[in-house]
Amino acid sequence: MADRPVLEVHDLHVTFRTEGGLVPAVAGIDFAVAPGKTLAIVGESGSGKSVSSAAVMGLLPSNADVKGEVLLDGRELVGLPNDELRKIRGNDIALVFQDALSALNPYYSVGWQVAEAYRLHHDVSKKEALERAVRMLDLVGIPAAKARAKDYPHEFSGGMRQRVVIAMALVNDPKVLIADEPTTALDVTVQAQIMRLLEDVQTEFGTALVLISHDLGVVAEVADDVLVMYAGRAAEHGSVKDLFYRAAHPYSLGLLGAMPRVDVPPRHRLTTIPGSPPSPGSVKTGCPFQPRCAYTERVGERCITERPELTPRPGEGNHEAACHLGRRPEVAP
Amino acid sequence: MTEASSKSATPKDELLRLDGVKKYFGLGTAPWQRSQSVKAVDGIDFVVRRGETVGLVGESGSGKSTLARLSTRLLDPTAGKVSIGGQDVTKWRGRRLRPVRRKIQMVFQDPQASLNPRQSVGTILTTPFRAQGIRPTRAQLVELLSQVGLSEEHLERYPHEFSGGQRQRIGIARALAVKPDLLVCDEPVSALDVSVQAQVLNLLADLKDELGLSYVLVAHDLAVVRQVADRLAVMYLGTIVEEGPAAEVYSSPAHPYTRALLSAVPVPEPGAVRDRIVLTGDVPTPIDPPSGCPFRTRCYKAEDVCATTRPVLEPVAGGDHRAACYFPEAPLELSNPPLSERTQ
Amino acid sequence: MPDLVWFLIRRLFATVLVLLALSLAVYLIFYALPADPARLGCGKPCTPDRLEQARHFMQLDQSTIQQYLAFLRGIVVGRTYGEGGAAVHCDAPCFGYSFPLARPVTTLILDRLPITASIALGAAVIWLIVGVSLGVGAALKRGKLFDKLAVGLALIGVASPSFLVGLLAILVFGFWLNMVPVNGYVPFTESPVDWAWHLIMPWLVLAALSSASYIRLTRAQMLEEMNLDHVTTARAKGAGERRVVLVHGLRGVLVPIVTIFGLDLGSLLGGAILTEKVFSMQGLGELLISGVSQVDVAVVVGVTLFSAFLVIIANLVVDLLHGVLDPRVTHG
Ligand SMILES: Nc1ncnc2c1ncn2[C@@H]1O[C@H](COP(=O)(O)OP(=O)(O)OP(=O)(O)O)[C@@H](O)[C@H]1O
Ligand SMILES: Nc1ncnc2c1ncn2[C@@H]1O[C@H](COP(=O)(O)OP(=O)(O)OP(=O)(O)O)[C@@H](O)[C@H]1O
Ligand code: SF4
Ligand code: SF4
Ligand SMILES: [Mg+2]
Ligand SMILES: [Mg+2]
Repeated sequence: MADRPVLEVHDLHVTFRTEGGLVPAVAGIDFAVAPGKTLAIVGESGSGKSVSSAAVMGLLPSNADVKGEVLLDGRELVGLPNDELRKIRGNDIALVFQDALSALNPYYSVGWQVAEAYRLHHDVSKKEALERAVRMLDLVGIPAAKARAKDYPHEFSGGMRQRVVIAMALVNDPKVLIADEPTTALDVTVQAQIMRLLEDVQTEFGTALVLISHDLGVVAEVADDVLVMYAGRAAEHGSVKDLFYRAAHPYSLGLLGAMPRVDVPPRHRLTTIPGSPPSPGSVKTGCPFQPRCAYTERVGERCITERPELTPRPGEGNHEAACHLGRRPEVAP
Repeated sequence: MTEASSKSATPKDELLRLDGVKKYFGLGTAPWQRSQSVKAVDGIDFVVRRGETVGLVGESGSGKSTLARLSTRLLDPTAGKVSIGGQDVTKWRGRRLRPVRRKIQMVFQDPQASLNPRQSVGTILTTPFRAQGIRPTRAQLVELLSQVGLSEEHLERYPHEFSGGQRQRIGIARALAVKPDLLVCDEPVSALDVSVQAQVLNLLADLKDELGLSYVLVAHDLAVVRQVADRLAVMYLGTIVEEGPAAEVYSSPAHPYTRALLSAVPVPEPGAVRDRIVLTGDVPTPIDPPSGCPFRTRCYKAEDVCATTRPVLEPVAGGDHRAACYFPEAPLELSNPPLSERTQ
Repeated sequence: MPDLVWFLIRRLFATVLVLLALSLAVYLIFYALPADPARLGCGKPCTPDRLEQARHFMQLDQSTIQQYLAFLRGIVVGRTYGEGGAAVHCDAPCFGYSFPLARPVTTLILDRLPITASIALGAAVIWLIVGVSLGVGAALKRGKLFDKLAVGLALIGVASPSFLVGLLAILVFGFWLNMVPVNGYVPFTESPVDWAWHLIMPWLVLAALSSASYIRLTRAQMLEEMNLDHVTTARAKGAGERRVVLVHGLRGVLVPIVTIFGLDLGSLLGGAILTEKVFSMQGLGELLISGVSQVDVAVVVGVTLFSAFLVIIANLVVDLLHGVLDPRVTHG
């Protein structure tokens, strides 16, 4: 409430036209992030996390139809001509990918690549851009940044490469940083370094962060708000405490129960969610989670016939869940 | 089970024993260059006893997979001794290894890549029997499938018709076909979603109860390992730096590296304040590891002595718990119970 | 850099070895043939006496190995055939002497090389430009009309026999339309315009056919490259589509194209046999063909070795270029 959101997404739909028919990869999601805040998007593989972030950036392939609103500082991005979008990409909104090695161009030095990102949005000489790039590399903790700027991506370790990618994303002081699984490919010790770096950057520059992750531990640590996606839709949305202490959707509860923990002695068994996630669009009516849901019997027919909408739940933020079960489901046995 | 395996069981029930095992991979270098090698596994003693699950953790490149493949005799050690079921099999090759291979089976990380896409599940499950010269009956195959929670209807299907978790089940079923004593699982769940990962971890636990299996569980995810391991071995640059009963190592890590590693794992507890030890720098290259203690370049406790000779595994706080460090951390008496106990 | 020096020394060593082995093989093969070069060289009433004389003069009366060693020696110090006034001298580096043509092979090759090189280089430049730009265009307009046309063209090009296309072209443009000369070669130094004018047909025919495989190669590589994550990164940075394609996409395609181009050019320089034949140009290819038909062993060995040498050099250049073009490659 403190700050107006810098990025708002309303009722975002992404449909792919494929040979096998239409694939509704994202079927109506909403989220918002305020400056300096972190929104985490969690969900299973294929639930539409990456597609949503690519849609925000206007980076989807040409066989994708995007509907809905993406507002950056109140300005609509959906439908903007490519030329206008180009000025926003990398400048106002920047992206950090999961796999830093493939995200960097193997043929150019890292200094050149960071400098290119700067030159694309600033009318400066190559030399000035490179100086800026070196400052950025230094900022993200690359030792001897000036000398290392001449090196190529394959000459860096995984963690260092991810730092380079982050430097490249931050070089234009973006308002929003979208990080798609930024630490999944990294060891925990390096993950800790990178997450600390992202936090430092946020406090220093007030960047809004959209963090896509499947690691609930990381989410608990850095997120302010969480969006739980399931099969291209929002299953639950709320503050990080809402999700971890007051989860209202059976799927969120399932995720929490299924996660083994390093800080407590093991329980006898992990709770599991039976089955596996549906492919997009395969559930036509009712609740997409219904085939795997342990609570559907309590609700009955409605879960199969009527699609649950997001409804408010008790909590601190805009806690909402898309489930017909009115009260909070008790923790599974 | 057949008599072969019961005969070779040793009194101590050691299914697997590695003594001073090393594996160096030669790098292809030109003749005039100094020959280089990757010291992937650099002097490891490792024991797995019947009925126990040993977790093997460590950062990428620390040699976990190499150790796993040495244990299953998929790789020949550069030095040291590999004993399986009490027999020294270091020098064994080819046909002679068959009965040994049967006792130890391997499950791989990527269920997609380790299953032949052109073979039906039935054919995939028949292969290990064939390798032992057996023709399995359909009932045997169905029995296998049911052990991993699949059913007869899946027999005629092909790998691409299954989800990731199901494919991993098929990989496990294939390993179980020859009734092994020990499953060496290399990152069995790291390609899976959390909810599916839990299914597979529970399956592994069930199979252990039902069939009395033992496991070596290689994983980089320390939480996954904690869920199932009885004992834990922590690897760094090709060596085991700490080893002991899992409960003890997790609650009271003695080696600075283990402590840093555990503290780096985020916990699903919003607002939890943790004393995180953030390691600086990168893992050194296994081609030219540091002198003395391999961890000294990143260690927050390193002193001069650490650079001279490599510390060996020595008992800490008595018992089974050992660490290779000159200045091990004092045991943590649960002075600081994790916040999360209360949600339990 | 010392790595590079070692690399070069090693490659040079390997090159010499390959050439030695190759020359020996060619020698052995040709001397195993039933045809007798001396008989062709001994003149009309070929008495056993004269035959013996010719054999001795051409140094064919020595054992194969001796001849081979004499050949190797000739490369370093030159060689003299026969004695006294009739002696024929061949200066170092002597790659043999062609008795039918009465010239040292080295001179023959150097005479013919400009012709073959003119054909090869000109055609290569054309097909590289045409092939790569059509290939890039096709990849960017994937599935559109342009792509289909380019792919179709490439298919025709790959499938057509060059001999036939050359003859057809001569027939149409040379005889019917009378637009261009159909044969002959004018040295560049004499008249650059005439040089190019006489070469235009062979260039176009050769380039038309070779462009085809470059279209296909470029298109395939480009499609692969444009799907890579780092190209998406370039877009995410805010690069315009042109920059994405030219700076980020094409860059990665360079390596495979340069590889194939280097090897193609290297083997073409050793003799564009069919093209030379069709357009009656006296290049290296033509020299080789006539050498074979006249059992002119010296010429065959010389030209074969020279072609092999060019191919090996092309390989070396390509490998060196890899080091320049791809930072991940080191010459260790
Ligand atoms: N270009 C495309 N054409 C057709 N379908 C696509 C395309 N890109 C993505 N999809 C589909 O959209 C769905 C959502 O994919 P997305 O990559 O967003 O998943 P995700 O949540 O990021 O998963 P992960 O955790 O595996 O990265 C998937 O089912 C995927 O198959
Ligand atoms: N066949 C091989 N040839 C050369 N080097 C190898 C080979 N296999 C492994 N290595 C090297 O040995 C070291 C240990 O590799 P290993 O795969 O055992 O690590 P790991 O602990 O399993 O890592 P990860 O968590 O990434 O799977 C690495 O430096 C690796 O590059
Ligand atoms: S709506 Fe029904 S099926 Fe869906 S999550 Fe709620 S209880 Fe389960
Ligand atoms: S031996 Fe020294 S360097 Fe190694 S872990 Fe112990 S204190 Fe650190
Ligand atoms: Mg994704
Ligand atoms: Mg591994």
